[in-house]
Amino acid sequence: MSVLRRGAATALAIARKDALSELRGRQASGSTLFFAALVLLLFGFALGPDSRRLTEAAPGLLWLAIVFGGLLTVARLHQLEVEDGAMEQLALYPVDRRAIYAGKALAGAVAMLALGAVLLPVVAILYAIPIGSAWLPLITTVALGAVGFAAVGTAYAGLTVRMRAREVMLPLLMLPIVAPLLLAAVKATTVALNGDPFGELGAWLQLLAAFDIVMLVAGAGTYGFLLED
Amino acid sequence: MPQTTIYVAPRLAGTHENPPPAVRAVDLARLFGRSPALAGVSVTVEMGRMVALVGPNGAGKTTLLRILATALRPSFGALHIDGVDALRRPEIVRTRVAYLPHATGHYDDLSAEENLRFAATMLGWGATEAGPVVRDALDEVGLTPVARDRVRSFSAGMRKRLALARLLVARPSLVLLDEPHASLDGDGMALVDRLLERWHEVGITVIVASHQSERVARLADATLRLDGGLVAELSGSGIQADLSWPSASGAPVPAGVDR
Amino acid sequence: MKTRILGFVGLAAVIGAAVFGLVVVPADLNQGDAQRIMYPHVASAWLGELSFGVTALAGIGYLWRRDLRLDAIAHAAAEVGVLFTAFAIWGGMMWGRPVWGVYWQWEDPRLATTALLLALGIGYLLLRRLSDDPARRATRAAVVGIIAALDIPIIHFSVIWWRGLHQTPTFGDPSKLLNPSAPGLFVIALMGMLAAFTIVWCYLMIRRYQLARIEWQIEEHGRLGRISAARRAAALNAVVQETSE
Repeated sequence: MSVLRRGAATALAIARKDALSELRGRQASGSTLFFAALVLLLFGFALGPDSRRLTEAAPGLLWLAIVFGGLLTVARLHQLEVEDGAMEQLALYPVDRRAIYAGKALAGAVAMLALGAVLLPVVAILYAIPIGSAWLPLITTVALGAVGFAAVGTAYAGLTVRMRAREVMLPLLMLPIVAPLLLAAVKATTVALNGDPFGELGAWLQLLAAFDIVMLVAGAGTYGFLLED
Repeated sequence: MPQTTIYVAPRLAGTHENPPPAVRAVDLARLFGRSPALAGVSVTVEMGRMVALVGPNGAGKTTLLRILATALRPSFGALHIDGVDALRRPEIVRTRVAYLPHATGHYDDLSAEENLRFAATMLGWGATEAGPVVRDALDEVGLTPVARDRVRSFSAGMRKRLALARLLVARPSLVLLDEPHASLDGDGMALVDRLLERWHEVGITVIVASHQSERVARLADATLRLDGGLVAELSGSGIQADLSWPSASGAPVPAGVDR
Repeated sequence: MKTRILGFVGLAAVIGAAVFGLVVVPADLNQGDAQRIMYPHVASAWLGELSFGVTALAGIGYLWRRDLRLDAIAHAAAEVGVLFTAFAIWGGMMWGRPVWGVYWQWEDPRLATTALLLALGIGYLLLRRLSDDPARRATRAAVVGIIAALDIPIIHFSVIWWRGLHQTPTFGDPSKLLNPSAPGLFVIALMGMLAAFTIVWCYLMIRRYQLARIEWQIEEHGRLGRISAARRAAALNAVVQETSE
């Protein structure tokens, strides 16, 4: 089999394994979803009850909830490797480590896309956002944001999973890195909901895409080093 | 019952005439923080031999096995497996070595069969070939009745059997086992002994650390005893070790430098 | 010895540039004397960014060569970088108070960027503190350093665009925009301070690296010592056993 095909097979096998583990892992992924929704609810109490203020802040609140949920998601995808010591086996398989990274990042991106997709209607209801015709740019934004977050999150989760104080190290490292992603995603969401009067959406989506590409390349290049002990 | 199918790694190019030693370790040392788990192990193992690795707890057996498996980089020393520099080209070594660590390394939410299918894919088996290989391996270790059950429900003994099955799905020239008999009942331990014999028969080099020393001693060609991170004693055939100290000061050679 | 000379030269350069910036250059037409803090502020910010670049490059070098000296350089650059970045933020706040009326405002892209830079730098240093094994620490630090450095240009763009492709800045009172009365001297002051700070940066880098190298050599010596000690103990044991047999 050619290198590329083997790499793709490896990545898909890993993504599939992670997806199965996620889906079957009792309520783990459901809990994350519920937690993110709770965060949205709590923002209502923190910033309300002025509905207008909440509606204005909605895009930012949505993405904060996605970020918090995302941190839990990428962390969990690596915890399942460490539970029974599977990570050591994973590091020893004769496969391209970039493919391992790709598989894990793919699983993370899909999980976060699902998270975002579920949170959109929650936000729409809680903060009275008329999604209407903007659903396509919104889903695109969520997808691009999910990929970017998963790209750097997979690398950082792999890095911190065997460290002391890993619960705090992952957010500590992730939050400054994803600040531009957060910024761009919120802008894109806001602009999309307003009907994009100035045609800015393209610029923000391109910025998100640039972040995604840079982080995917960086992650793929460095993940192999993180698997070694 | 038909004999277990054992898949062996093909000989490397240029090694048919003069096969290199399966393992050539020179002055391997490894520190964890402050303490030296290995303080300088130099040992050469001929291809096809079975070596029993013995010694008290904390002697460095697990550390040595992990370094041989390329799961851990030594702090100092050089290592060649089947003639390949394990520190410079570990990826080649990984295609030829199968390692059974302490931890069983399974995915709890997947079934035994799914775990093994995953391992088979990672080990290079194609989609169609993997099926029968996995089923045979599960059969060999006696897990066929529970193949569809989630590993989360497995006992320690069953997890161990599944880990052994994973070894059967590999195609190694060197098998490293760290306490394979642990967690197993009488039948399980007999299974391990059967597998050890089969690997030996087929010409695969085996290095096994086990507290069931009598069982292994019956099958092994040689015994390597470690103590305090160093080779304390050596007996048997097909193996050499350097029991002298590399230099007057006892200073080790930097990692990767071959003397 | 040469490093000490460098240190004195740097100190003299900074004093000279400070005098120039405080006395020789006339005050800004709009911002008055408050503008003068810009000289060290911009210089620090620039050197902070340079430092993170060095950290990232040294990290790449380490992953390639596994030479812990490169890791020591990365560590030194990160510490010096955090120092300069923190100073840049402080300078930015001191400048902001008289000009904007507040210590912090979000529309200044440079302030927001520098804050993120500081966060990234501190995160890097904390990561290093939480790892024991030198090789693991160096690998993790290298990965974080590289990813952080790659993020910096993205941060720049996003924060600048953020300010509004169409919005007018609420804090940008046109009467308070930079308006140097003697543009030539202004540029000289800026460049001069930048040069002076760069010399100080080099001095700090060299000193910090020397310190890191000594630390690392001590650690290495300790590791070798422990291995030798283990061997000598075993050899002694063997001799004792032989003689008692």
